[in-house]
Amino acid sequence: MVGPTASLSNLSRSDGSASYKCPATGYDVLGAVNAPIELPARRDALKPEEATVEVFVKPGNTTAGVGERHVEGILRNVLSKVVLGRERGFPRRGVVITLGIVGGETVDRGDSYLTILPALLHTSLLALLSAAVPLSMTFSATLMGVDKSGAIITDLSAADAKAAASLHVLAFTSKNHLLLNESEGRFDFDTWEQVRERALSICQDMTTPGPDGDVTMGEEADGSRPEGFVRETVEDRLYKDYSWKIDSI
Amino acid sequence: MSKEAPLSNAERDFILEALREDVRLDGRNPDQFRPLSVSFGDEYGHVKLQLGKTSLVVRISAEVTKPRDDRPFDGLFQINLELSAMGSPAWENGRSNDLEAYVTHVLDSVVRRSNALDTESLCILKGVSCWSIRADVHVLDYDGNLTDAACIAIMTGLQHFRRPDAVVRDGQVIVYGVEERVPVALNITHKPLSITFNSYNEGKSIILDATRKEEQASEGELVIGINNGGDVCFLSKFSGAPVDPMEMVTKSTVALEKVKEINAQMEKAMQTDLAKRAKVGMADLSRAENDR
Amino acid sequence: MSTPLILLPGDEVPSSHLPSTKSNPLKLGSGVRLLSQPSAKPAASNHILTATQAGILATDAKRNTVSLQSFSNRRYIPTTNDLVIAQVHHSSIDYFHCIVTPHTAQALLGQLSFEGATKKTRPMLKGGDLVYARVSSVGVGAGAEVEITCVNPATGKAEPGGLGPLTGGMVFDISTGFSARLIRASSSSADHGDAIDGLVVLAELGKKLESLGGFEIAVGRNGKVWIDCSAAGENAIKSTIAVGRCLQTTDDKDLNAMDQKKLVASIDKGTDDVSSLRWARNIAVLAPLSIPSPAQYPLENSGNRKLADLRPRSKAGIFPPFWRSLASCSLP
Repeated sequence: MVGPTASLSNLSRSDGSASYKCPATGYDVLGAVNAPIELPARRDALKPEEATVEVFVKPGNTTAGVGERHVEGILRNVLSKVVLGRERGFPRRGVVITLGIVGGETVDRGDSYLTILPALLHTSLLALLSAAVPLSMTFSATLMGVDKSGAIITDLSAADAKAAASLHVLAFTSKNHLLLNESEGRFDFDTWEQVRERALSICQDMTTPGPDGDVTMGEEADGSRPEGFVRETVEDRLYKDYSWKIDSI
Repeated sequence: MSKEAPLSNAERDFILEALREDVRLDGRNPDQFRPLSVSFGDEYGHVKLQLGKTSLVVRISAEVTKPRDDRPFDGLFQINLELSAMGSPAWENGRSNDLEAYVTHVLDSVVRRSNALDTESLCILKGVSCWSIRADVHVLDYDGNLTDAACIAIMTGLQHFRRPDAVVRDGQVIVYGVEERVPVALNITHKPLSITFNSYNEGKSIILDATRKEEQASEGELVIGINNGGDVCFLSKFSGAPVDPMEMVTKSTVALEKVKEINAQMEKAMQTDLAKRAKVGMADLSRAENDR
Repeated sequence: MSTPLILLPGDEVPSSHLPSTKSNPLKLGSGVRLLSQPSAKPAASNHILTATQAGILATDAKRNTVSLQSFSNRRYIPTTNDLVIAQVHHSSIDYFHCIVTPHTAQALLGQLSFEGATKKTRPMLKGGDLVYARVSSVGVGAGAEVEITCVNPATGKAEPGGLGPLTGGMVFDISTGFSARLIRASSSSADHGDAIDGLVVLAELGKKLESLGGFEIAVGRNGKVWIDCSAAGENAIKSTIAVGRCLQTTDDKDLNAMDQKKLVASIDKGTDDVSSLRWARNIAVLAPLSIPSPAQYPLENSGNRKLADLRPRSKAGIFPPFWRSLASCSLP
């Protein structure tokens, strides 16, 4: 498996930005974060003591519809949990996250949005890091499918996802708390438990036995797993931003 | 807050003073564009364009739909521009603003209503089905001159795009997948681009490709839509201070030069990309054969 | 310091990296916070600090501070004692309402918060005018208003020097990370010629000075730098642009000291007529002396600032006239 490709702070106008490309599904997402800024139109809706997280998903070649609103709701819930909205400068301000799907297949109206959810989550996380928004911890997410025979599949492509009996997106924090669980399709508790365990091990950046029982080899080490690649992406950018400092040491 | 932060007096005065000496903040000549670079995504019609610090992505897509009742021979074509908070913190998500309406209007006039894309060629079966072509503009970074940048990117995207082949057999419309038949290029009748001029100091200084700060300091704007052949298809003096009519004539000559120059640059970039794709396609084909 | 330690939100700051002095309490800068303190033994080494941002851990053993240095493009958040370039939006009876960062709440600047200002002599600022000010308070709790001032209330003087309305000149936008570096570098290099924070561009620009006058520079932590070369007479505009572009290019391209020298050299193909008016000396002349004690604000974002931070507005040299060539200068 090839790891996802990501980079930070690609845009100049927004306070933080990230681009993320998921190799299995082919989605290419660009995220921008503006924070903390004033949200003038909805002052009454703002929480008095905290920052308000706003998420906007912009599909690549259609107009945003119900599917986007739904996934925005999921993202807002997850991200509100990790953003420290009471830090200095943040209360009563907005953290505005804009995610543009700039590459990959279109999610057709009525199709499952779960396939793109991990990419959107990772892009948001990276963009928040890039904008130096205070977070309690980082997280990683993965998409899992269960096919009709009951076998768990990872690294699903869009076609795999269509054929699967059930789809699950799970996100775990860097402290291994379950942060998000979105499932759809028919499955039973045992299946879900298996999915959870597998997802946790993926998110923890552990080497897992491959589908054929082989222990995965070197190319699957660092960088290919969510948690590892977030760190790597951040380090790359910091080394660039602080090259003046690091070079002189 | 749909407005950019206002320019400070110091910045405005300085920009105007500098233009009196024909000097711009980034050292450009008055009629010089910022460096323009273009790259293509994996799909056809996916264009990423960078003009100085203004950058945007255009995606062209096609789907089969029913033509409008009053135009049974015509396909559909629409340009969709939605400004999100990504391009500038001043833009609010989900709300349109004046700039969005204005740029959409110019793009619509220059590209769509000038018939740059031959919509009749998009008809598959009269009154029953046709292609609907859609151009989505995503603004990633806004640093002025959105109109020209978007126009260049859309025109490049339309030329780069390949739609699936479709035929009518026994009254049935069959759309072939990209693997089955070589996808078809769109029929482009001409290549108009918009060129925006900004005027300063009572029309004494007129510059091309203004940055965001230069736009904010500007007293008036003149947009000329013109193609390689020198046909003016759009001319707008939307607001601001008056411009001498003679200037319009001389500026359209400047615009023609620019359009030719940019079109040539885009053509070159596109040919390079298409040649690369052809090579990769061949390599894939031979590999697939070897596998068997 | 050996290899830089990079932390992500949620990561614990290893206690081995914390300054070990126990004389005064540890001060936290941006990006780190105290998660819990084990109640068993409240010794200094028992702090559990976690990162809240992604960044490089920076500690200062002398001042006993620890903070994270994050990405340079982030938005500026007002912090007490920072110097900022604010833009007046409108004025009311008591205050000028100023923009410190776009699209955030306006900061308040008292009508009389200027050196020697009385009801009759206060500056009449219009919307769009610029002031160089110090953040005097960021308030407490949610919705608190940021207040800025151009005067030290204790002495009634514009301290640190140069505070007050900025007239003429030009403002350039730079990243917040770079503005912090500029402030450190512009002050410290006055004392010794070494590159501070790998930044020699200001010193280089200063060295290229010509005898016509000097350029004034004011750096705001909110990502703005104001430059005025009006002393250069007819070359004022071009020299201002040259200085601004040198700074912006250094910022955008993360130039190292060598490239910064090349960049400055590339705009100056004329004379190397160095006058006796030294850039460094000018700084010394303008440098103010009263420094608010950072100890008063132990939890504020004052982690890395040095004494000299508070005197960045200074005179420097000007340039010979060949600015246009900057447009074509090529960077390695």
